[in-house]
Amino acid sequence: MKELQELARKLLSDGTVKVVIGYEEGPHGIRAAFITDPAQSEKLVFDKRCVQNLVAYLNPRRKHLIQLGKPAIVVKGCDARSVAGLIREKQIERGNVVVIAMRCGGVLENPENDSELTCETVSVRCAGCDVREPKLYDYILGVLPPEPPVNPARAEQIAVLKKMSSAERWQFWTEELSRCVRCHACREACPMCFCVQCTADKAQPQWIDPSATPRANRAWQTMRVLHQAGRCVDCLECERACPEHIPLGLLARFVADAVERRFDYKACEDPSVPAPLGLYRSDDEEEFIR
Amino acid sequence: MTRRFLTHEEMASLVAELVAAGTRVIAPVCAKDNAEQIDYMPIRKFEDAKLGVSLPRRSLKEFFLPPSEVLLYYVQTKDAVDIREVPTEPPPQVILGAMPCDAAALEVVDKVMSWGYRDELWFGRRESTTIVTLLCGVMDSSCLCTTVGLGPDSSRGSDVLLVPVEGGFAARLVTSKGEVLLADRGQAVNEALQNSAEAVQSEARKKLKQTLPAIPAEFADWLSKNFDNPVWKTLALRCHGCGACAAFCPTCHCFDIVDEHDSAEEGSRRRNWDSCQTSKFTVHSSGHNPRQSQSERFRQRMQHKFSIYPKRFEEILCTGCGRCSRICPGGMDLPEILGSLLAMAETKPEGSAQ
Amino acid sequence: MSDGVKQETISTWSPKIVAFVCNWCTYTGADLAGTSRLKMDANVRVIRLTCSSRVNPLFIIKAFERGADGVIVSGCHTGDCHYSTGNYYARRRFAILHDLLDFMGAEQDRVTFSWVSASEGNKWQQVVNETTARIKALGPLHVYQEQKGGEAQ
Repeated sequence: MKELQELARKLLSDGTVKVVIGYEEGPHGIRAAFITDPAQSEKLVFDKRCVQNLVAYLNPRRKHLIQLGKPAIVVKGCDARSVAGLIREKQIERGNVVVIAMRCGGVLENPENDSELTCETVSVRCAGCDVREPKLYDYILGVLPPEPPVNPARAEQIAVLKKMSSAERWQFWTEELSRCVRCHACREACPMCFCVQCTADKAQPQWIDPSATPRANRAWQTMRVLHQAGRCVDCLECERACPEHIPLGLLARFVADAVERRFDYKACEDPSVPAPLGLYRSDDEEEFIR
Repeated sequence: MTRRFLTHEEMASLVAELVAAGTRVIAPVCAKDNAEQIDYMPIRKFEDAKLGVSLPRRSLKEFFLPPSEVLLYYVQTKDAVDIREVPTEPPPQVILGAMPCDAAALEVVDKVMSWGYRDELWFGRRESTTIVTLLCGVMDSSCLCTTVGLGPDSSRGSDVLLVPVEGGFAARLVTSKGEVLLADRGQAVNEALQNSAEAVQSEARKKLKQTLPAIPAEFADWLSKNFDNPVWKTLALRCHGCGACAAFCPTCHCFDIVDEHDSAEEGSRRRNWDSCQTSKFTVHSSGHNPRQSQSERFRQRMQHKFSIYPKRFEEILCTGCGRCSRICPGGMDLPEILGSLLAMAETKPEGSAQ
Repeated sequence: MSDGVKQETISTWSPKIVAFVCNWCTYTGADLAGTSRLKMDANVRVIRLTCSSRVNPLFIIKAFERGADGVIVSGCHTGDCHYSTGNYYARRRFAILHDLLDFMGAEQDRVTFSWVSASEGNKWQQVVNETTARIKALGPLHVYQEQKGGEAQ
């Protein structure tokens, strides 16, 4: 932590960056910090409560942040994949952001209940982590902790869903999505949902009805997760942002697994690796085509 | 204002009779997706209600202004459009165990719903609903009810206010609707019971974790004079502009009207919850957006709630429930933000555009 | 008429199937099926697009929301795309859509993907008739109409 605070102080004092986007303690736990004054660098923290993927704050749509000037951003290895995604899709330039990567041994699923990392408390997104040592960075800090425990909760939920009949799955999603009020917190918190005009906001024609009805909610979530196919890094900001605790992470994981199985692609920190839905192979599976 | 004492059994039989008569009874219950979460939902019997456990996830707003509601249906034939209106006199319902902040919000929003035009759908439901509020004992540090002039024992918007006492509730019949609901149930309240209820009420006030004082009357003016204050540029850096705060706020009431087609011939006109925090809220048909960034949009939220609405309707558009702070995915906290604005107003009453 | 759906008994119901077809291969193949007077069920409404790659998954979802009981998406065989590579990209997109629809509980069999070339009039006939039979067996898709959200509370 001291390392991080000192680096931030230096980068701000010598003008390398105008703002450091990191984590701080807020009234409700850890939240994003926007340090513009070197003297405020002591606010920066990094520990297992830092679940949040902050890369949504690099979205070029966010004018009030852009006008602060060149940012540095604190990322874990998994979050760095979102930075790579934004660079890959030409939303930011590599030279316009300073990436401060933190070596990480796992984060808590519910950081409000600060405790040791166990297979029950660790975030489901840490399962199978291969980026404890981040690869995309300008600065890399911290010591490499041991591998995180594996929280099987989400894989188990997906397995349960797959065993259900199609009608039962329909019922499951209808019930879960009945709580959706179309606030679009999932979209706004997502680092890869950077479209200036979202398809759902287009009214001429209205492809996705904006009303909070079971039918329209289903269309919205189906399309959002489809638009994320091959781009989503499974950071779970969508699920964490959802005020109704709809298990959107199940959809994110399912699509990520489908993309991996079919196209041998996992979200990565290398912006030069192209996104899978912008590619093809002549021998892609077509068992579903008659 | 009459007072009665009702035992738990008497409350249970009231609920049973209401349900049997076809009246919908809504109360806080355990959420279906998470037993630790409380939601306002219809109940069949009093035992299903989880009174005084915690603040329900959503406010009462959805029972008066649903997240999406049909305004009319239409069918287009070759020569005409056939419009079918929706009923504006819904069947009676009772809300049992409303939080005081949620009940008060309804009276606050009544003002705009009757401003120049009486919203029939809103008032249809307001008139057919009886609200039984429960004294609040579940406050946390996000709450702001006393800051906005209310409190855990506020009876604003309530027809009956219940104070939990030994063996039941001391009920204060606030309105004639409340008197009609309780009719001749329960017993008269004797002095001992009265003292007991008052003790419970003052205990509740002691549990408050709020540190912000009441908003002074001059704050509304200070805000409008400080529209161009540079503080707005940095207050909302962490705000994602999602609008979750507005959706869960009991006093936010903005809506969008859309036409939805089910086929070439049939469809409905609906109104849906909307929020000034979303980027498209003020986009003109020309494409111009007068509120281009989140700092301007967040400024609007604070101005509307604490300056514009108070000046027009003499009501703060906030009842201090704290939901916005608890659910914000970006970590925005209203006590923190309001605290810093109030401190600025105190030290620089004239404010400055610096 | 509270949900605007006319009540039909199963015996009078005939499936509504929407087909999104590419202009160069499938549309021409379908035309060939027609000029060859091949017998086909008359339930399919054809929507012609330039390429199967033009098909946005939204079209499929919207077709179901608007009353389709089944959807066909058909284009050129891989390697034969008029635009060289369109159907390759489409194949990847449809693969994920196909998997996701199933995961969300939609009946996978209501969406039919096929490659039909300009000379495959017989294949188009097969796709149409086989799809229609399959949708008839599945029955009308009421669930979307039921879920559009009815009267105010």
